[in-house]
Amino acid sequence: MEWFARRQARPGVARRVVVIGLDGVPHSFATRMVREGRMPNLARIFQAGTVRPLTSTWPFVSSVAWSSFMTGCNPGKHNIYGFVDRRLNTYTMFLPNSETMRAEPMWSTLSRAGKRVGVMNVPVTYPPREVNGLMVSCFLSPALEKATYPRELAGRLQRMGYKIDADATIARRSKTEFMRELLDVLDHRAQAMFELMDGEPWDFFMSHIMETDRLHHFYWEYMEANDPVWAPAFYAFYERLDTILGQVWERIGDDTTLIILSDHGFCTVRKEVYLNHYLRERGWLRLQPRDGRPPTLTDITPSSRAYSLDPGRIFINLEGREPRGSVRPGAEYEQVREALAEELMELRDPDDGARIVERVYRREEIYHGASEMNAPDLVVAPHVGYALKGALDRDYLTHKGDVLIGEHTHDDALLYVSGHDLITATLTMQDVAPAIFALMRVPEPAGLDGTLAITT
Amino acid sequence: MERGFTLWFTGLSGAGKTTLAQLVERLLRERGRRVELLDGDVVRTHLSKGLGFSRDDRDTNILRIGFVCDLLSRNGIIAIASAISPYRETRDHVRSMISDFVEVYVDTPLEECRRRDVKGLYRQALTGRVSAFTGVSDPYEPPLAAEITVHTVGRSPEECAAEIIGWLERRGYLDPVATPAVNMVPGNVQHDQQAKEEAEAYSPEEEADVSARLEALGYL
Repeated sequence: MEWFARRQARPGVARRVVVIGLDGVPHSFATRMVREGRMPNLARIFQAGTVRPLTSTWPFVSSVAWSSFMTGCNPGKHNIYGFVDRRLNTYTMFLPNSETMRAEPMWSTLSRAGKRVGVMNVPVTYPPREVNGLMVSCFLSPALEKATYPRELAGRLQRMGYKIDADATIARRSKTEFMRELLDVLDHRAQAMFELMDGEPWDFFMSHIMETDRLHHFYWEYMEANDPVWAPAFYAFYERLDTILGQVWERIGDDTTLIILSDHGFCTVRKEVYLNHYLRERGWLRLQPRDGRPPTLTDITPSSRAYSLDPGRIFINLEGREPRGSVRPGAEYEQVREALAEELMELRDPDDGARIVERVYRREEIYHGASEMNAPDLVVAPHVGYALKGALDRDYLTHKGDVLIGEHTHDDALLYVSGHDLITATLTMQDVAPAIFALMRVPEPAGLDGTLAITT
Repeated sequence: MERGFTLWFTGLSGAGKTTLAQLVERLLRERGRRVELLDGDVVRTHLSKGLGFSRDDRDTNILRIGFVCDLLSRNGIIAIASAISPYRETRDHVRSMISDFVEVYVDTPLEECRRRDVKGLYRQALTGRVSAFTGVSDPYEPPLAAEITVHTVGRSPEECAAEIIGWLERRGYLDPVATPAVNMVPGNVQHDQQAKEEAEAYSPEEEADVSARLEALGYL
């Protein structure tokens, strides 16, 4: 039995919905761009609705956050905890994907209700699902030919010069070239989006823009430091994005609601923090020596008590779950978790003694649902600017690089809805789906964790 | 017991043998296979300590590596050897010692190896500071019929590693899909299903490719 009755579809006229996902665009940054007059189209759009900050998921990476968006559920139900995960009962890795997602994405529900949908580039939609409409999967697709439903759509996109993602390896070679690549991928994505929006029937259309996240990872610090070359280039990118948003706005008729949202905020990287190095130094993690070859988790020894996956996910080496698990379930597991959490709280930046960890969550504090057993045992919440990494092969705790210079933040994501007010309580990724079902007059499926974010 | 075999990487210094051998090693480990990598340079500091670079010493080094590969692969382990192994006759001798021998010729042109010059050895060889250097002052005899020939110019290591894994799958050295979780939890329907789905979404080559992209973004 449900604790609460399912929210029924409201009477009234069903609306069409357009969602634009702007990966990693902070609420504070977007509102500043509008205030400074750099994004006149976004200013017009914001005036026609409500914009508020949104908080991300734990951990605050795109795969987890967009999964919570599309399912309206916490990770304990949708089963996506990061870009990589360990296969249960092994130390080997797999890439979580649409088939390992355990909750239903909204476009499947909408399709079943007879709505026509178009979904482009939303993270963790590979392999593409059959929908009542079309789907173009995300940057986790191995190739465009395999990324579309229906399959024939791939050829059409290819002819348009559509790319799944910008090639991030270029950024290590040349910042000039990578900026050109980002603008090129953005333009072709926009072109494809408009062609499909204009040419195909739809009740729900979502297009996700990943280029903002990529821009931020490689140029954010330059923007914040007002670099004479890259800060103007950064803003020029946003001016281009603003033009595209203006073109979206022209297509929003009276019967359509526009939603714009991001999945996390952004900041300058203070330091990358290699948690597995810390765990090894402190004796929590022991790996068999590998003769100078890069270690993997399969080298773990039974004397290990914990290991970490990116970003800040900690797993206890649990007997009966991990193949060489040595921590006994029950009291010992709790003791180990508590001791490790306490120790991690004391983690400090070796350069200035600053605290790195703001809080350590036990999994039951942040996850609940049928897939909870796949969750990390602890999730480390860092202070802003510390990028927690899962690499096993580093012989240092912290590092400040000059390529990846932007990092996600948990707070300060963004939600905008045209023509509606938003409730004032703290909004989360999972609160958007109930609003979309309400707007489209489709009964909300059972078991959603989100609360209705819009008021009418 | 799973089928053991020897994967023997040969090619010029700087061709990419070690890079590829390590990548293939990782992919095989991720499938739950037991793997041992014998790197020519590393072996010389242990198993073949004291040996030089004369023809006799080089042959001795290669035959020792071959001997260990045979022991390992007979016991269900995948032995990976990465050594210049310049002489055809010696490689063929090793082949005759091992029942499941897969020769991988890392075919990178000398000019490209010189350009890469990872260890700075070509520079030293060309100025005469290193003698008997393969490809400069000592011959390299390419295989006449290697099981796998990998061309590395203009391709990423991940692509090349995927090509090798694909060959091993097609020839039955490896199962085409990795399902370790199924074996670990017999009869657990949910886990069986989960393992099946994970295995189907990406082929090992695709997984390596997408993982490389995630790595470039700092997400691993």
